[in-house]
Amino acid sequence: MISIDQAVRNYQAGETVVRALRGVSLDIEQGEFISIAGPSGSGKTTLLNLIGCIDALDGGEITINGEAVSSMNKKSKTDFRRINLGFIFQTYNLIPVLTAYENVSFVLSLLDLPEQEVRERTMGLLKEVGLEGMEHRRPSRLSGGQQQRVAIARALIKNPQVVLADEPTANLDSETGEEILKLMKEMNRRHHTTFIFSTHDKMVMEYAERLVMLHDGQIISDERRQ
Amino acid sequence: MKFLISLAFKNLTRYKRRTIITALAIAIGIAMYIFIDAMLMGAEYESVRNLKWYETASARILDDEYWEERYQYPLDLNISDPDPILERLEAEGITASKRIVFTGDMILSRAEFGEDGNIPVRVTAIDPSRDFDVFHFGDTLIEGRFLEEDEEAILIGSWFAEDIGASVGNWVTIITRGNGGFYEAIDLQIVGILNCPNPNVNRTLIMMPIKTADYYLAMDGAATEINIRLPDQAEVEQEIATIQGLLNGNGITVMSWETMAKDYLAIAEAKRGGTGMILFLIFIIAAVGISNTMLMAIFERIRELGMMRSLGMSDMKIRIAFMLEAAGIGLIGSTIGVIIGVIANYWIINVGIDFGFLMREMDIGYRIQSIFRGTWNPGTIAVAFFAGILISTVVAYLPTNRALKMDIPSCLRHQ
Repeated sequence: MISIDQAVRNYQAGETVVRALRGVSLDIEQGEFISIAGPSGSGKTTLLNLIGCIDALDGGEITINGEAVSSMNKKSKTDFRRINLGFIFQTYNLIPVLTAYENVSFVLSLLDLPEQEVRERTMGLLKEVGLEGMEHRRPSRLSGGQQQRVAIARALIKNPQVVLADEPTANLDSETGEEILKLMKEMNRRHHTTFIFSTHDKMVMEYAERLVMLHDGQIISDERRQ
Repeated sequence: MKFLISLAFKNLTRYKRRTIITALAIAIGIAMYIFIDAMLMGAEYESVRNLKWYETASARILDDEYWEERYQYPLDLNISDPDPILERLEAEGITASKRIVFTGDMILSRAEFGEDGNIPVRVTAIDPSRDFDVFHFGDTLIEGRFLEEDEEAILIGSWFAEDIGASVGNWVTIITRGNGGFYEAIDLQIVGILNCPNPNVNRTLIMMPIKTADYYLAMDGAATEINIRLPDQAEVEQEIATIQGLLNGNGITVMSWETMAKDYLAIAEAKRGGTGMILFLIFIIAAVGISNTMLMAIFERIRELGMMRSLGMSDMKIRIAFMLEAAGIGLIGSTIGVIIGVIANYWIINVGIDFGFLMREMDIGYRIQSIFRGTWNPGTIAVAFFAGILISTVVAYLPTNRALKMDIPSCLRHQ
């Protein structure tokens, strides 16, 4: 379970202090499919970065499965991310010189797993996300949707507790975006992995089982949906 | 680690242009280093050889006080009875020959040279039967003939002949002061012209038979020096101590070529320092080039770096990945550099560069008349090869570290 208690994050922009999060509190259960929504500048990416242990709080606390990640040092955060968190980026961020297979298996190589297990898990997951037969293609030979599928596989390959996706469909056309959301939802159902994704797209919000709306760094609504 | 090596290798092939340009910068630096080092080593080796072959021999026996007064060329500070010393040395298997060195004025007549004139000269009187066993003038004759034992004749260097417009058959007069201070004028015919590879010698060389000099200078069998030739691999200082022991003092001393050529060796040392500085600068330029290229390469991949960090790749592994990539560029550059350097070395060793036009007009310290040839130096080639890889790797550390200091969200936002 993720518990966010009175999270505060300020940024310095020149001489101005930008208050990106103003005391956000939120609890997220394991296996939820939750969307953090809001207009640009509302603080959704900041909140995802804080949950993802790639940014530091100025106030408050975040715990994931009882571990106070917000007070961890840099190395512990890196170790925590390596084992527990998966990321999906708006621009996919695949390594251009690696094939789809290598982009996914790279994450497992950081965990020092046996080669046979790496191969089996990678091939299995690429098949699950619909990329069977495209394992040896480099990102430049894959469409945007296919690249995001590789990114989803990369995020899920280590069986993380949480997958964080920052505007995962923003670079895709609506049809492909919907396919990606369906895939994410399917993966959430199959693997019981918590998915937290940010968006400002109404169609994407429709797919969320829980919709948290942010505005000016504060939660203005938290709605559970069927 | 296997993954990091594979990633580094793939990135090398991904950024082909960058890899090639940086590797070429390293290659040029390394090839220049190898080439310049080979040329300078060769020049130094040949200079020392020509110094010993035509100027100092391996060692020299002198009167105890002669060295202090050497610029006066004093005839009275001599070895009064050189022949028993030569016999003793010969009995020990040591090759040696006596000489008388004196200075004077060479008078050039209108009849022989088109106009009257005079020029200060240094004359070396040699034993024609033994001198070429010690010095290497034997294969330098380009015109005329060698000296005979007891004749009024001289051999001169080809550059000196050019300078005074002399040719074989011309007569010159040398006015000098004999042993005791009396004035003497000696008429001598040029019988041969030598082209000595040592420019300092070729520019001033005048040789005459020692017997003739002995007669005119009233040396009474004395010589101003006895020159000794030691085998190339001989321990000179040890041999000198042995010879000194054989001579048993008697007011004479033995000096090594290194003592006599102290000035030359000091200049050579200074040149080495200057050359080292040039080579160091070449490396600095290459290092800055590599650093700059790596900086650009790393900064254009900041987002990739941010992604790797967010997925839990440690800073150390990221550093290793980029340094492996830089090492790969260094390896390619060093390999190309060594290949180019070896080819250039082969050329400089076998063909060489003709600096005759420069050496003819000025003395730049090297005892080489025209063609500078290099020498193989495997140590330098090995050092250059590994230094290329090492420098490339080390300079990649700084930009990688700089990029790693950025926070991850900034990396992910980086355009």
